[in-house]
Amino acid sequence: MTVSAKVLNYDLKNVVTPNRLTGLWRMMSGFRWHYLGATLSLGVSATAKTLTYILLRFFVDNYFTPGPKPVPLPVVALGFIVLAAFEGGFSFLSGRLSAQTAEGITRRLRNYLFDHIQHLPFSYHRKTQTGELIQRCTSDVDAVRRFFADQAIGVGRIILLFVINFVAILRLNATLGWISIVVVPLVVATSAIFFRRVSKAYEAFQEQDAVLTTTLQENLTGVRVVKAFARQQYEIEKFERDNQEKFKRGKHLVRMHSLFWPASDILCGAQILVGYYVGAMMVIRDEITIGTFLAYMGLVVWIIWPMRNLGRLIVQTSTGLVSFGRVLEIIRQDREPLDEGDVIPDGNLRGELVFEHVGFQYEDGGKVLEDITFSCSPGQVVALLGSTGSGKTTLVNLLPRFYDCTEGRILLDGIDLRRYPRRYLRKQIGIVEQEPFLFSRTIAENITYGVGRDVPQEEIEAAAKAAAIHDSIITFPNGYHTLVGEKGVTLSGGQKQRVAIARTLLKNPRILILDDSTSSVDTETEAEIREALQRLMENRTTFIIAHRIQSIMDADLILVMDKGRIVQRGTHAELVEQEGIYRQIYEIQTRIEAELEKEIENAS
Amino acid sequence: MPPDIFEEEEFETKFTGTTFRRILGLLRPHWKIVVAFLIMIAITAGMDSLFTFVTKHIIDDGIMAKNLPALYRLLAIYAGMTVMQSFWVFGFIYSVGVLGERVRYDLRQMMFNHLQELSLSYYSRTPVGWIMSRVTSDSDRVADLITWGLLDITWAATSVISSLIFMLFINWKLALIVLVMVPVLVVVAVEFRKRILKEFRNVRKINSKITGQFNENITGVRVVKALVREDENAREFGVLTGDMYKAAYRAAWLSALFLPTVQLIAAFAISAIAWYGGLQAQVGLLTIGGIQAFVSYVTFMMWPIQDMARIFAEMQHAIASAERIFSLVDAVPDVANREGAFDPGTIKGDIEFDHVTFYYEENVPVLTDFNLKVKRGETIALVGPTGGGKSTIVNLLCRFYEPKEGVIRIGGVDYTRYSLHAIQSRIGVVLQTPHLFSGTIRENLRYGRLDATDAEIEEAAKLAGAHDFIMRFDKGYDEPVGEGGNNLSVGQKQLISLTRAILAKPEIFIMDEATSSVDTLTEALIQRGMERLMRESTSFIIAHRLSTIKRADRILVIEGGKIEEMGTHTELLRKRGKYYALYTRQFRTQMEEAFDPFAEKAPAPAD
Repeated sequence: MTVSAKVLNYDLKNVVTPNRLTGLWRMMSGFRWHYLGATLSLGVSATAKTLTYILLRFFVDNYFTPGPKPVPLPVVALGFIVLAAFEGGFSFLSGRLSAQTAEGITRRLRNYLFDHIQHLPFSYHRKTQTGELIQRCTSDVDAVRRFFADQAIGVGRIILLFVINFVAILRLNATLGWISIVVVPLVVATSAIFFRRVSKAYEAFQEQDAVLTTTLQENLTGVRVVKAFARQQYEIEKFERDNQEKFKRGKHLVRMHSLFWPASDILCGAQILVGYYVGAMMVIRDEITIGTFLAYMGLVVWIIWPMRNLGRLIVQTSTGLVSFGRVLEIIRQDREPLDEGDVIPDGNLRGELVFEHVGFQYEDGGKVLEDITFSCSPGQVVALLGSTGSGKTTLVNLLPRFYDCTEGRILLDGIDLRRYPRRYLRKQIGIVEQEPFLFSRTIAENITYGVGRDVPQEEIEAAAKAAAIHDSIITFPNGYHTLVGEKGVTLSGGQKQRVAIARTLLKNPRILILDDSTSSVDTETEAEIREALQRLMENRTTFIIAHRIQSIMDADLILVMDKGRIVQRGTHAELVEQEGIYRQIYEIQTRIEAELEKEIENAS
Repeated sequence: MPPDIFEEEEFETKFTGTTFRRILGLLRPHWKIVVAFLIMIAITAGMDSLFTFVTKHIIDDGIMAKNLPALYRLLAIYAGMTVMQSFWVFGFIYSVGVLGERVRYDLRQMMFNHLQELSLSYYSRTPVGWIMSRVTSDSDRVADLITWGLLDITWAATSVISSLIFMLFINWKLALIVLVMVPVLVVVAVEFRKRILKEFRNVRKINSKITGQFNENITGVRVVKALVREDENAREFGVLTGDMYKAAYRAAWLSALFLPTVQLIAAFAISAIAWYGGLQAQVGLLTIGGIQAFVSYVTFMMWPIQDMARIFAEMQHAIASAERIFSLVDAVPDVANREGAFDPGTIKGDIEFDHVTFYYEENVPVLTDFNLKVKRGETIALVGPTGGGKSTIVNLLCRFYEPKEGVIRIGGVDYTRYSLHAIQSRIGVVLQTPHLFSGTIRENLRYGRLDATDAEIEEAAKLAGAHDFIMRFDKGYDEPVGEGGNNLSVGQKQLISLTRAILAKPEIFIMDEATSSVDTLTEALIQRGMERLMRESTSFIIAHRLSTIKRADRILVIEGGKIEEMGTHTELLRKRGKYYALYTRQFRTQMEEAFDPFAEKAPAPAD
């Protein structure tokens, strides 16, 4: 049951075709033999079932009338067991093979999607809703799985049963054969119509279920509001309304089922009855033997009853196809190549950066950066000051090539940035965000996340100490092995930031990007973080995104940004001399202290 | 309660009679429908066996006897039975189906109604997700057991018994062979079902891990890319999907083995019947119709047995579900109306905390011997560090919790003598993070006072300064706010929440000021709305904004469950104590924000 690496690594990009069925066929690449085997086994199993009835015919015709017995009775008895073993054995084999196919295809699809999504460019992630994407990767993938596991094989099963048993009846007696399929088209048609309507009613039911769940959830999360306004009765009535509606829709579904099944029972019953009558008359007229009649009675059931489920399978197949289409939309997107580029310097970068008339705009319009020109030498600190939306974040996003600039060029150590492979660049650049995203792993794993080598515990602790987070970590229940997130500890913004600092220290990048806004942390930790950051910035070219002046006074170059442009540039000393925004901000600091003094004086 | 109690699926219980009786008790109000569908399903099952018996006679008395009148008569009976059967089928699907929906409805409503009564302490120790699963999936599982499950068991039992009776009637010696097979079949089927169920649970568990991984990798995509962690992530995920493959394959494999195994056991019976029946036939003891009937009965018998197995396997889990449901509806609210609780008509008056002691967990005191007197109409600002006890004071005042020791008096009367409704319907609360319900803006505002007219709503919105932004929406007051108010900004949600409180015309106004900053204009509007409320009612504000603090009649610095400092703004500043430190620090940050030169609006000092 092991799947070869070749099959597992099949490039699913190939399934993107104008025709969905071709796409599905390509999805099966590497599993087609399994699937063929599953289908053949089904055929063998169905044939064995049919043969059981033929054996019954032989048994009745030879052993219930006087005359010579072709084989001893125990052999016939054994025959029933052998046939059942064949039927069961091959049915099991078919189940196994189709499970291998379906689960194998799904596994490959999941792996591919997971990897594909993390390689899609930011421009894709920016315009895609997380929930939507996750739903496609989970429930739509599951619908595709069901297509292969149940529906495709289910339709095949019904068709095989029909063909094999129909042929068998025809061989027994042609008239009986043709008579027994009179209602089949009718059964298939009604079942298709019925299940189409049921699936709509079911959707409506599910929608109401979602409404009810939302009402419940909002009530539970808003319990304080409910209690504070004493709205319990109101809430009960609201829930009751939604609950009642769900009950009504559920009842509607029940009513549809309660009408369809007995109606189709009558239809199939009538068919069987006609068959019985015609067959019985044939036996009485000695046109067929009683054994043939019994075999017919057994076989005809396997032609008619499964047909009732065909409608269900057809409807489910169509929803499976819709899901497949939704998954394809993700696969269709182009990946951002990690290794494309012809410059990989030996050893480390120096970290000299030159921006030449750099501009950027998103595909859907809107200029975010315009005419950005500046340069910095290795190890220098560049600070970006500006309000939200001024383009600071976009500017630093260009460095690891999260986006490529749309105008001008950026030179790193004298070479155009776009000639460096992204993988190389990103390994050389460290990012510490204001409130970094941590994964639901242990703290140690979060610190070593993406470092790309085995890090001994001492080194982790050294980094944590340098980042001023070690002392906090050892107070957690499992120390470094405490899980972060829902099932473990919740870290404060400042703690998360220090974990990210420790991680970046281990990564040891040449270029550093800091999102420095410590407004939400209290004074004590602010000092600690500042110290840790100082340690991190040593000998690295650093870009600081800042909101306040204190953190950037020592920067080698301060760029004041507004609406995507650089409006002022220089060192702190230069900028306070100039008329402009920077000096305004600076002056506010002094004014605040003065006002506070005044107020306190007024009080006393 | 330790969190692992809330872990799903691990909650296995032993079969207990009391729970089972209580589950069946849920059916008591609907006993007529239950009796009706049980009768109908029993008839259906009996008729199924009868069909085979009639077929035997068609063969023996009609065809083999070449007796045409008998054949016609028997076929007519068969036809009549088919029609009748479809009525029974309609009847039981409809009645049990509707009853199933009804029981689900009842269970959900029962839980929801009880949840409204439970105290905040229950909510603080029970995760919302846990409660949600009780109301949604557990209610489904229990309802299924006592409707469809009961139906299937009855059907299966009647089918098996009636077939056995007919078989005994046709040929008792052959029937004995079948009788031996039945228990074997049952044991095998139940064992299979249990294992299959277990495998599928395993699959579900891994599946939720996969979803979690997708979730994390998509939300954290920036970090993944920045750290070039793609290859390692893909490898880790590959291990997970490999596990999934194995688990899902195992589950499918077991399921695929189940039916063939059952069929094979039946085949042994058929084989024995053929052997022994063949011998009997030669001496005329078994007819062709008889052998046909036996083959049909035995082939068919695996379906009811299969069904029985499924229900027995699932029953254990359904009972565990029921126990969780009962644990929810049996939970006793900590805060409830006392005997003789009354509504005084108004709760305007002085408020007094008299030697109040309170803790959420034993030995972790939050308030100890807390004393406070507040005059009617006074505005109290509560300041101090997080965890100092500010929220607890508010919680006690709203009677979300009651003092462990000591008394809280409103208008000189111990407030536990009032009904909960009397207090809570006269309190207006604005929470730090405003909570909105799906629906329109109007519906959310009306939450404050259900009988408010549209004009009153609009008036309140104007007072709170919410009217202008509401009118800017296409549908104005009828604009949907989205799930949890997602269509609105934080500032807008705060204004809605404030309007709601104004509309409630509270006698006591409580506000937990939001820490998150909103734009200056919204800030000013919020201040104006608050002022109005503070003028008209006794107010308690957990304050962060300097302007609010300064406007209060009295400022309380709460730390370690005690009042550390108390007085007016000037008095406290002069003291140069805790308040002074707190104020100066807050002043600096707030000013820096206010003077943000990048802000669109011209900077204005906060006060």
